Amino acid sequence: MKTTFCKVLAVVMCLLMVAACFVGCGEKKETYIIGLSGPLTGGAAVYGTAVKNAAQMAVDEINAAGGLDGVKFELLALDDQHDASKVSTNYADMVAKGMIVSLGCVTTNPCLEFANLSSEDNIFFLTPSASGNDVVKKDNAYQMCFADGNQGKVAADYVNTLGLDKIGIFYKSDDSYSKGIFDQFKANLNSSIATVEAVFTDANQTDFTAQIDTLKECEFIFMPIYYTPASIFMTQAKGKVADNATYYGCDGFDGIESADGFDITAIPQKVSMLSHFNSKATDGKAAEFIKKYTEKFGADTLNQFGAAAYDCVYALYNAMKEAKEAGKDINPNMSAEELCTILKEKFNGGFTFSGATGDNIKWQSTGYVDKVAIAYVIKEANA
Amino acid sequence: MKTKSFLKNYLNYAIIALVAIIFTVLSLTGGTSPKEIYLLEKIAISIILAVSLSMVVGFLGELSLGHAGFMCVGAYLGGKLASILEPIIGNGILALIISVLAGGIAAAIFGIIIGLPALRLRGDYLAIVTLAFGEIIRSVVMNAPEKLFGGTLGLETPRFDKKYLFIIAFALVLICLAVTQNLMRSKHGRAITSIRDNEIAARATGINVTKYKLFVFTISSFFAGIAGVLYSYSNYRIQSANFDYNYSIEILVMVVLGGIGSINGSIIAATLITFLNVNLQTKLTGDLAVLQNLFYAAILIVIVIYKNAPALKTFREKYSLANLKKRRKEKDQNG
Amino acid sequence: MDFITALINGLSSGGTYAMIAIGYTMVYGIAKMLNFAHGDVIMVGGYAMYVTLLALGHPLIAVLAAVIFCIILGVTIERFAYRPLRGASPLAVLITAIGVSYLLQSLAQIIFGSSPKMPLQLQISGAVKLGALSVDYSTILTITVTVVVMAILSLFVKYSKTGRAMVAVSEDRDAALLMGINTNAIITITFAIGSALAAIAGYMMLCKAPSLSNTLGAMPGIKAFTAAVIGGIGSIPGAMLGGLLLGIVESISYSIPAIAPYTDAVEFSILIIVLLVKPSGILGKARREKV
Repeated sequence: MKTTFCKVLAVVMCLLMVAACFVGCGEKKETYIIGLSGPLTGGAAVYGTAVKNAAQMAVDEINAAGGLDGVKFELLALDDQHDASKVSTNYADMVAKGMIVSLGCVTTNPCLEFANLSSEDNIFFLTPSASGNDVVKKDNAYQMCFADGNQGKVAADYVNTLGLDKIGIFYKSDDSYSKGIFDQFKANLNSSIATVEAVFTDANQTDFTAQIDTLKECEFIFMPIYYTPASIFMTQAKGKVADNATYYGCDGFDGIESADGFDITAIPQKVSMLSHFNSKATDGKAAEFIKKYTEKFGADTLNQFGAAAYDCVYALYNAMKEAKEAGKDINPNMSAEELCTILKEKFNGGFTFSGATGDNIKWQSTGYVDKVAIAYVIKEANA
Repeated sequence: MKTKSFLKNYLNYAIIALVAIIFTVLSLTGGTSPKEIYLLEKIAISIILAVSLSMVVGFLGELSLGHAGFMCVGAYLGGKLASILEPIIGNGILALIISVLAGGIAAAIFGIIIGLPALRLRGDYLAIVTLAFGEIIRSVVMNAPEKLFGGTLGLETPRFDKKYLFIIAFALVLICLAVTQNLMRSKHGRAITSIRDNEIAARATGINVTKYKLFVFTISSFFAGIAGVLYSYSNYRIQSANFDYNYSIEILVMVVLGGIGSINGSIIAATLITFLNVNLQTKLTGDLAVLQNLFYAAILIVIVIYKNAPALKTFREKYSLANLKKRRKEKDQNG
Repeated sequence: MDFITALINGLSSGGTYAMIAIGYTMVYGIAKMLNFAHGDVIMVGGYAMYVTLLALGHPLIAVLAAVIFCIILGVTIERFAYRPLRGASPLAVLITAIGVSYLLQSLAQIIFGSSPKMPLQLQISGAVKLGALSVDYSTILTITVTVVVMAILSLFVKYSKTGRAMVAVSEDRDAALLMGINTNAIITITFAIGSALAAIAGYMMLCKAPSLSNTLGAMPGIKAFTAAVIGGIGSIPGAMLGGLLLGIVESISYSIPAIAPYTDAVEFSILIIVLLVKPSGILGKARREKV
């Protein structure tokens, strides 16, 4: 009897503890809180870290310049480890802490959940890097990066011009990012070009012998995957895939030069990717960003995700500033919903922005971004 | 005495119901935040999972490492049914009941299919077969046509009204508890525990071991399926990657932490671990997040060794909570 | 042609599975427990190699160091996590093993971080060309080492005194104890051998694909156990056969585009089918439980 009572008591205590943690909130806010959820650990950590660093850098700069009419910004970045099931918790936490506008999630899968949750509360978000087509399905969502469908199409357009008759494709069949680009790429590729396809599914897989053997005859291999498996593939494919072959990736390749322990100069093949940011730029806003970022965080995590995040924060700031100057009432204690309405009006109404990832960037009312893509060569083939 | 045993048997229901009612009132008067409601939903789902796994691990004495796999079956089939029903009868309570039942039954059917071959073998095989099953299900669901289960993007499922889902979830917790508890206190329950304690002796007394094993396994899968449907209702999108082997282990940690064979223990541990998971996730960042896993692993090892090591038997008996109290009582009476 | 290439690749990954499976099967046969942490010993071995490489820079020394480190680790795990539970229910032992597996993975992540390391010096690239066919050096190495290890172990078990003691312990632990065999010592030796094999398996994996993270051994470990069950648990040639079979199935499945995404499902389905048709595995002996 007594032990049962003890156990029951323990349940009550637990639940009281839960209840106790709920009490609170309601104080007056003095900053604009920007929420962000991204992979700060795990295989995609380079992206999350870059986005967090660059966004923080932008926030610090804006604050140093006096914020928005004296009101400062604050970045609230949480870790989701590229795991969609962690997003709801992060989202609820950010809302509880007073998030007024957001950068969404860094990667696609988590961002899909984030999009649904934020549309429920009508919180505006502009994601730097979650490129899935469905990410911006709801009307409160906007992208700074190219959508996957667009990436697949742009990549296919590029490959169509190369005059190849056979290409290899290596993708991760259970990843929405990889599969999304692949599908669009396949749909837009000239039917005269034959394809050889190889897939993998296990995120922790390290042995790609079977896939390499499938693809080794190809002189052009399209790899819409993240850089970690790509770097393993390239390392393992040395001496099997022809030395004059080309690896071509999408934004997932970004950061491959700085993958832990990976030596890209030891890869004989050419490595290139589709990007909206030139990390070797010498002039313009991109060069400015590169200088500031590397001074602060080093070159290890310099990539288009960071640049896009930097642009996102400034785009939000500019939009809010312009709206305020046009007479809209913007203050930290307004609801996220009110701000969302203002920002939506702004982004749908021809708001333009120039930053590190492009000039005169515009948004369609669908949330997709309009800007110019570049074919960025990470490394030429070793002669 | 009678009221005492009544209390003993039903106090846990009362407490869960009480908590549910308190939060219902809070929720309806607008006194709760989305974070709390989300936590409550998660806790209810964890309790159902832990209690149902505890039937297999605690009472049957078999190890299943595919609990998340059965949950996955429930989540996908129930979630799919819910999204089919939505345009027909709306996203109401009726659709929810139908989906929950369908998801549970589908998971139970898979339980029978998997249990039939595995349960005839030695215990460890069940562990490895259920693990394999979980991976197979994940792989099949993920690669199924996009129109069917959403492919890699995951399946979009209707989200039930936030204000009420946790109430329904707690009602399901009570049902799960009632079924488990009454089953274990019945004649069948005693037969089941006798299998755990000595299978050969149980068989010798005429208990149909395979039948009982399969029965428990099926019921357990059924509730895992229900938890899966609830999960699909509490999220906008379900992704097969969430139902991996690590999730099965997490449920196992809850059962072991709560004390193998104790239903109330499982409930407490499920509540505690879910609470910690949700709260630590936003606090421990970077590689520190893994401290949580380290902590669970250490708990698992220490508790199991402490509770089971033959060498510690005398120590355990000497210092167990119940015995300490008994001795104190004796002391009081004597002195 | 593609089929033959797939077959050769299958032999290569199958050799690695076989190596891990032998460790599983010996421990299972003798200690009667599923050592879930076996796959993670591989991972620890990988990190041991990585650290030694950084310090000393020679692959061979690194492998040696990893083997020694893994033996110490395996014996320590056995002594402190499993031995206290000898005589307790199999369920308790299995749960502890899962705990140890998680403990190793978490520790590795805390120490080395979650981004993968690339010990490139371990990589063996290049291939022998036989006409249109090319066979990687790493494949040749893997298969040779596996066959040699299996032969040595089979001879060891059959003819050495310790080996025969192992057989005795696996047949009947109590009877073996009565015959004067130090069963604890025999189990410790088994763990030592199993862990050494795990370290070698780790090298086999890294010499093909030098990428090292804390989950390196998790999936291969589970698949190798599957291989051990398929081949017949407790049988060393069975583990070898099961490992190669699984490797070949995996590789062929990867080479057929329509099936490739389902490869994991295919492999695990084989396990379930084998258990349905012949629960004791291909080379295993059926054993009746005595009262």
